[in-house]
Amino acid sequence: MEPSQPVSPDRRHARTEVTLAAVGVLFVALAGLFVANLWGRVPVPPKIPLVDKKFLEDTPWRRSYQDLVAAKEDLSDFDCFACHEKNKPPLIRYDANHKIIIPKEHANIKMGHGSHDRNNLCYNCHNEANLLTLQVRDGRELKFNDSTPLCGSCHGPTYRDWEAGAHGRISGHWNAKAGQPKRLACVNCHDPHAPSIPQREAAPGPHSLHEEDAAKPGGGPRRPSH
Amino acid sequence: MAAPHPFNMSDKTSDQALTRRSFLRGSAAVSGLAALAASLSPLRELKDFTSTEEFLQKYYKELSPEEMKKVLARIERQVEREYGIRPHVRDLRPMDGVEFVYCLNLTRCIGCRKCVHACVAENNQSRNPEIQYIRVLRLPHGSLDLEKAEHRYEAKEVPEKGFFYMPVQCQQCENPPCVKVCPVNATWQEKDGITVIDYDWCIGCRYCAAACPYWARRFNFARPEIPKERLNPQMAYLGNRPRQRGVMEKCHFCLQRTREGRYPACLEVCPVGARKFGNILDPNSEVSHILREKRVFIQLKEETGTSPRFFYYFDK
Repeated sequence: MEPSQPVSPDRRHARTEVTLAAVGVLFVALAGLFVANLWGRVPVPPKIPLVDKKFLEDTPWRRSYQDLVAAKEDLSDFDCFACHEKNKPPLIRYDANHKIIIPKEHANIKMGHGSHDRNNLCYNCHNEANLLTLQVRDGRELKFNDSTPLCGSCHGPTYRDWEAGAHGRISGHWNAKAGQPKRLACVNCHDPHAPSIPQREAAPGPHSLHEEDAAKPGGGPRRPSH
Repeated sequence: MAAPHPFNMSDKTSDQALTRRSFLRGSAAVSGLAALAASLSPLRELKDFTSTEEFLQKYYKELSPEEMKKVLARIERQVEREYGIRPHVRDLRPMDGVEFVYCLNLTRCIGCRKCVHACVAENNQSRNPEIQYIRVLRLPHGSLDLEKAEHRYEAKEVPEKGFFYMPVQCQQCENPPCVKVCPVNATWQEKDGITVIDYDWCIGCRYCAAACPYWARRFNFARPEIPKERLNPQMAYLGNRPRQRGVMEKCHFCLQRTREGRYPACLEVCPVGARKFGNILDPNSEVSHILREKRVFIQLKEETGTSPRFFYYFDK
């Protein structure tokens, strides 16, 4: 305010009222913001999708011959004599690199037993005298639903671990008094023709609690935007 | 103050209703009341009032069987009110002649994280924010340096080349540091080796989480969120009953299953059979065999003197 130009009392009153009204509006707005609690409210985190139920399944990877029989599945693949002649072992062909040539009727079989290709004679396990059975090197003849001792005839340490419960899957009860445990057979996890376990899909990892953590390298899956 | 202004006189004598002083007083009162209302507004969202029954509940170890029955009935009522599902809540005590031990085969684990999610489903953990008892660490081959571990790996297919995986969860220590620091004895070790938490007794100070060298304890910073359709109704008081906000939780070896003689959920779901569980006091159990015959890697962070009941081993 410049003292050289005195303002009339009316104009001063008007100015005071305008100022007071402005401050009043400001206060009311502040009060409104307080009540609406705009500062104190925790931001609602975005939704995390529920994990796919397929990751909660505890069914084994493969079904053994026994499981297929129990489930009354199509067993035509095990009906050897529909194509092969009895008492006449089928011929096995090899290419120049001594790799087995799989006939197109057995195209579903992938051969890969061992890290080398030497274990590629079908009759190492299948019985050439009777295609409906398996044979162990010591002369035992086993049915398809009892293949575990055949695996054990070569993989001794693993077989002993499996017998003791240290290898393979067991489910049910740890306490035999409460119930019998269910032990899976070799072929419930391993394909006898290619027994090494292939890569599998991984379940989602933990979601970061804060967006800024998710942005860091190795910060885990991003939260979906809201 | 400056000399009286000629116009001050007019202010004093004016009979206008609103003086500056009364205006400021009024505004202060209005915004003060608003601030008070705002500070109380979280009460509007308060859903879980502690019932008198719950508030006056005695310490777990002092509850008589009749009192325990009432407590379990109260929890069943609360869960039914919240989720619309009538649960079966039990108080399972440790069995005689049983001490649990967990063995995990590092040669077999493929890091698929199925155990993590089976655990969440079995134990009614919060889905949002996420609470998970198991962390699967990914480590580069040829090292057991936990500094190089990564638990947020994003792999489409596992196992990845050049890595191995090491799931870490509560190690159920024989000498648990978390139990020592609890100021209210809300967590203790039972005779079957499981360290349990009474969620009704926990005050939420989080000392135990700070004391644990394995980062195995999880705190409910927010109200846990469990979808109704994913609630597991088979519950135990010290086990998987739903937790409230502000309490600690952690792996308890699925005591609602294992104290019944069953295997824990993480073991049942493991596709490669890397997880082994049983009674160490039984010489014929799998875990006894493993600890006797296998190349058992020292207990994790052995140097801290916690003596875990969780062992990592190798096949070859």
